[in-house]
Amino acid sequence: MLSLYRKIFSTKKTVIDTKDFPTPENVHRIGNRIHAHVKKLFHGSLAIREVDAGSTNACEQELTALTNPYYDIERFGIHFVASPRHADMLMVTGPVTRNMKTALVKTYEATPDPKIVVAVGDDAIDGGIFKGSYAVCDGVKNVIPVDLEIPGDPPSPITILTHLLAYLDTRAKTQ
Amino acid sequence: MHMNPATLQSLFFSTLVLFVLGALGSLMSQKKSNAANLIGNGIALIGSALGLMTGVSSLLWRTGFQTKLSSPLPLLSYTFTVDGLSALFISLISLIGLVSSLYAFGYVRHFEGKYNLGTLGFFYNIFLASMLLVVTSGNLLFFLVSWEIMSLASYFLVIYEHKDPSVVRAGTLYFIMTHAGTAFLTLAVLILAGATGSFDLAVIRQMSASIPDLTRLAIFVLTLIGLGTKSGIIPLHIWLPSAHPAAPTHVSALMSGVMIKTGIYMMVRLYMDVLPPGPVGWGFTVLGIGAVSSLLGVLYALTEHDIKKLLAFHSIENIGIILLGLGSAMIFDSLGMKSLAILGLTASLFHTVNHAIFKALLFMGAGAVISKTHTRNIEEYGGLIKRMPYTAGLFLIGSLAISAIPPFNGFASEWLTYQALFAGIRTLDTYMLWAFVAASGSLAFTGGLAAACFVKAFGTTFLARPRSTHAEHATEVPMTMRFAMGILAALTLLIGVFSSAISGTIFTSGFGWMERVQQTNAAYYQEPQFLALRDGFARLPMPGILSGLTITLLGIFILTKLFTGNRKIVVADTWDCGTTLTPRMEITATGFSRSIITIFKGILRPTKQVSIEYHDADMRYFTSSNEVKLGISDPYRSGIYRPVALMLMRLSGIIKKVQIGPVNTYVLYMFMALIILLVTLAIR
Repeated sequence: MLSLYRKIFSTKKTVIDTKDFPTPENVHRIGNRIHAHVKKLFHGSLAIREVDAGSTNACEQELTALTNPYYDIERFGIHFVASPRHADMLMVTGPVTRNMKTALVKTYEATPDPKIVVAVGDDAIDGGIFKGSYAVCDGVKNVIPVDLEIPGDPPSPITILTHLLAYLDTRAKTQ
Repeated sequence: MHMNPATLQSLFFSTLVLFVLGALGSLMSQKKSNAANLIGNGIALIGSALGLMTGVSSLLWRTGFQTKLSSPLPLLSYTFTVDGLSALFISLISLIGLVSSLYAFGYVRHFEGKYNLGTLGFFYNIFLASMLLVVTSGNLLFFLVSWEIMSLASYFLVIYEHKDPSVVRAGTLYFIMTHAGTAFLTLAVLILAGATGSFDLAVIRQMSASIPDLTRLAIFVLTLIGLGTKSGIIPLHIWLPSAHPAAPTHVSALMSGVMIKTGIYMMVRLYMDVLPPGPVGWGFTVLGIGAVSSLLGVLYALTEHDIKKLLAFHSIENIGIILLGLGSAMIFDSLGMKSLAILGLTASLFHTVNHAIFKALLFMGAGAVISKTHTRNIEEYGGLIKRMPYTAGLFLIGSLAISAIPPFNGFASEWLTYQALFAGIRTLDTYMLWAFVAASGSLAFTGGLAAACFVKAFGTTFLARPRSTHAEHATEVPMTMRFAMGILAALTLLIGVFSSAISGTIFTSGFGWMERVQQTNAAYYQEPQFLALRDGFARLPMPGILSGLTITLLGIFILTKLFTGNRKIVVADTWDCGTTLTPRMEITATGFSRSIITIFKGILRPTKQVSIEYHDADMRYFTSSNEVKLGISDPYRSGIYRPVALMLMRLSGIIKKVQIGPVNTYVLYMFMALIILLVTLAIR
């Protein structure tokens, strides 16, 4: 009982302060730059298929937050689709459990070329806190080729957007 | 080169002799199934080839012949008459016989050890010979005898797989129906002979003008019922969808392709040739029957899931289309518009030829599928295009032809039928005009529904994934069967492209008969490239259509290659969202046709029986099994045949009181009759 109380009080603040929120202007600025890339690189729309490869659902929460009214990434031409056949980009979360390995590979194969694979979260990058477990493949890169890694456990929506922007910046330069 | 009638005659008789030899030969070699197969089908093949030569050379050189086999009894002197119409049907019967025999070599092999191939060969040859006799007899008594031989031979062929009780039931129904039809025919022949004093068609033709109107009406009604039963017009069709599937496939092809056409032959012979033009009502009756049969036939085909039954219903539909042409010809004939009558008749006969060819092709395709999957239910097929690519391609050609899609032959003859109907709309007025409008409407409806039906038949049979293990393990059929189907497929295309020349030959088959229309200028004329009407109302460039289609296809091919040629092609699995794809996810034939059935529910009256069983009978929350039975009501059985059967049973019950069985009772009857006779004599 006491240990539980100690744990509660000794744990660092986990509630996000509204101060730490990205301002709407910030989101708008990053988003508009992404939008410019999307217009050019993807003919106006970037379709993302999210694959949960054994995630804790933390990353999904953050990805879902991207579509809420605050971030609303649909206005930047990005949207989540239901089938890999429609997708330009795969966002993979979770350390890739053995059970999800085949599913992930199948999804990857079903996505038409050219495709971008993004590993979202520390779990997806190298296994994160599950690293070394017999049940996981220690990250997406051990299963399918990865183009972009977004660190964080979980990464916040603005982190995801920032990394996405950085990646699209480099893609725009190389093309 | 000119064809001598004597040569033609000897050619024809050697055909008949060959069929008889084939029949006896296969019967004698019945102990060895291989030999029976070879003799029965081999001789039928040669015989049909000779028959084809007879028919085609007779048509090309416009030569006919007449042979009288006289005997001391005038009633028993038989006459063979071969004129243009007979020659057309001889060619047709022989052509389908030729291809069917070729197909049979490979097909009958799966009967080996189960059934006797000798008897099959026997009845098969007799059947072919009797059909030739039917279309060449110049004597009505002789016609009836050949008609009866044909019916009996086909009955024995239908019940060939007699170990299956449903086959025997189908055979019995056929037996009863065909004999009821023959009874009507016999009555008609007797009335005709009574009115003219002869069974000879040539004599009847000369005397026919003197037949009183009422007698002629009786003859018309009786022959329409009798011949219609054989042709399968609605509502006399009920034997057809059960008998055709029951027969071995090469026989089904013959029955559906040509046997039902012998009814059409006799209708043309009687109504257009022997009897003088009747009142307009006759033609409208035939036109109405044609419209109803074609529309209902295709609607019933849509509801059917037995592939052979489906094809049998399409035979009813096509008989309807043939009757639309014949009906319009009869109307024009009665109204004195001889040139239009010839247009309608040409359309009707051309469709007869075309239907025989593509229907035989479709039946053979269906037979090939059945021989590999051992079921007739199309819901258990699927994915066969990968396993039987040749059969699938040939079946597709047949489907396109029957759906009247250019450049195949079905399109050309349906186009001619349309022209005949449109001619009626253009030239007639008031109620006649509207009858023709309704008839062309029903033909249009029929064409669309036939296409829908064959989308269903081809799609569920050959596309998607196999729905049963039999379909999964199916393999391509033997070479002879593929070759036979290939001949027919090539013919559907050739006749389609060269339809002007072919229909021209049919058009000139009026030689030797139809004197009353021969002198007139036909409304229809043919050039090498066109089927056309003389007044320029419509023309159909079939070779042009073919080249147009070819150029379009080539253009699409080149354009796609040009724009997408350097694209990378990845072959991958279907995206299935992680579930395993099973054949149960495919659209079924039932599901496909259900929407169309719902549209026509006023006519088809679909029935639905749902029975659910629950695990907890009181609460009714958890179902253990759920059964849905979909069907359509059968108004013919419940409305016509059951009351007639009940009436017959009641009548028999009354007669049973007198005819009770023991011989001594009958002796008593005789004595009483004798005594009564003696007493009456004594009193006098």
